[in-house]
Amino acid sequence: MRKNFWLLVSFVLVLAACTPTAATPAATEPVSTPLAEPTAVEQSPTTVVTEPSPTPAELLPMTFMAGYKPQANLPFVGVYVAKAKGFFEEEGLDVTVEHSAGQGQHLQLLSAGTIQVTNQDAAVLLQRRADPGLPLVAIALLGQKGQQAYAALKSSGIESPKDWEGHTVGYKGTPPPDLFALISAAGADKDKIKLVNVGFDPRLLTEGKVDVYPVFKSNEPYMIQSWGYDLNLWAAEDFGVPSLGLTYVTSEEILKTQPELLTRFLRGALRGIQYAAEHPDEAIEITLTYTGPETDPAHMRFMLDAELKDAQSDLTAENGWGWQTQEQWQALADMLKTEGLPVEDDISGAFTTQILEAARGK
Amino acid sequence: MNGSRKSGLVALALVLVFFASWEAAVRFFGVPVYILPSPSRTFVTLATNPEMYLQASALTLGESLAGLLIGVLTGGLLAILLTLLPGLEGGVMTLAILMKSTPLVAIAPLLTIWLGFGVVPKIVITALMTFFPVLVNVLSGLQHVDPALTDLFHSWNASRWEVFRHLRLPTALPFLFAALKISAPLALIGAVVAEWTGASGGLGRTMWLAYTNLNLPYLFAAIFILAAGGMSLFRLLGWLERKVVFWLPDSRES
Repeated sequence: MRKNFWLLVSFVLVLAACTPTAATPAATEPVSTPLAEPTAVEQSPTTVVTEPSPTPAELLPMTFMAGYKPQANLPFVGVYVAKAKGFFEEEGLDVTVEHSAGQGQHLQLLSAGTIQVTNQDAAVLLQRRADPGLPLVAIALLGQKGQQAYAALKSSGIESPKDWEGHTVGYKGTPPPDLFALISAAGADKDKIKLVNVGFDPRLLTEGKVDVYPVFKSNEPYMIQSWGYDLNLWAAEDFGVPSLGLTYVTSEEILKTQPELLTRFLRGALRGIQYAAEHPDEAIEITLTYTGPETDPAHMRFMLDAELKDAQSDLTAENGWGWQTQEQWQALADMLKTEGLPVEDDISGAFTTQILEAARGK
Repeated sequence: MNGSRKSGLVALALVLVFFASWEAAVRFFGVPVYILPSPSRTFVTLATNPEMYLQASALTLGESLAGLLIGVLTGGLLAILLTLLPGLEGGVMTLAILMKSTPLVAIAPLLTIWLGFGVVPKIVITALMTFFPVLVNVLSGLQHVDPALTDLFHSWNASRWEVFRHLRLPTALPFLFAALKISAPLALIGAVVAEWTGASGGLGRTMWLAYTNLNLPYLFAAIFILAAGGMSLFRLLGWLERKVVFWLPDSRES
């Protein structure tokens, strides 16, 4: 009896020991298979040079993680184009492109040093630096204006934020500070407005579940208009509320230890953006190799055009794409502080023009 | 045999009626495609992108089956261990329920951070999702042995191993199949949920991309594949059950 029992126990243990082995082939094998997007050149971050290139020089590997799914956001397009046109290679870089599913994963990975550059909204960057204290530094400010706006159907008769009173206004996740700043700048009473969390679903607006819906200027307006609805749009900057958009962001550690890598990256990516501005059709073609067939090319073109427009200001006319100043960042920080959000007292560590200047200086 | 063919026809008819009424409702009420696509439009989407859906399905199915295998082995072996060492049952079950109650969507991004962008986190999530039904069912199968039969085995002076091999295991087999029928479709969902939170391939990624573009025919095409996959797995297990647990009367023939 006893002997048989131990025989069984050892049998169980042997089986248990087999379990991971049985799983290993399945677990490791599909990694190398070409996935849904064969064109998104899957290169493991650990390989140094595999791309057949005329210049056999050693390419420096690095990873850029786009902060969301593949689409025509300007920071993404700059990298897609620079990679496809060989601008990074000319800089001696082998850039791997990854995409975050959202939820701040890209900021975690950047802070952990797994990736070297990602992109982030300026207002969120300031808040994450203050709480929980992520070491983020913006090396270029692409969105000279904010990405957000608020939309109502033209047929609703809502003509200004003053008319929002007595209506339902949506927000994504948590009410953003520019919403309250916009409401007070427009002279509306926020206590008379009902706020609801809507997540991402512009159908809530067209189906009449909310009266005002928060949009990214370059995204949902295209969808809603393609469904046959006309929109009224309000953005914070229209009411004198400071707002900034997407930045290329790195970590304090990488800025300190690898400024040369960042300079080469930024030079390539900004060249990609310039190329996209001059050849938008080709830029969209390149972008579509990442997005897959679920994506509407005309939608991507709308997104690129809208973001190219907001990436230009008097500052960039004088200093080039991505320029940023203490005044811009300070105005945004002051607005956030007024709305009761955590911001560092000294925000000068949140951005740097050092890499921009080095990239231009070539 | 005649009866099973008849029930198959009834099932087919019901499915056809379901799709026909869906199609009719979408057309009659003029439902916009971004709210609910018609089945015909969904099938057309599926038919025009066969390669993309085939690749995505193969990846998702692979992750599901690998996760299911690990989940079933873990659940089954734990159940055996707890039958042999009943003293552990309270502690192990507490831990198992703790894991079972953890919303996997919350830990999925963490697993990506720890285990990378590849398939491993997807397999882990699928395994976590599938092991619990197997553990609970197999454990209760191993424990619910007919006392009269136990007495009979004892009267034959059967060893503990013999009781386990010839009495407990056969009693537990139908329970294992009941668990598998729950876990197999869950495995598909597990892989899709994991892919939804960050993947470079698979049906979950296709669904996420389609949703963020509100491209619903693509989303529903993936749902159709998952539904068909879940149903096939379920049927396959039913067939396997009739072969393995041959001594039990087939409910369809009774």
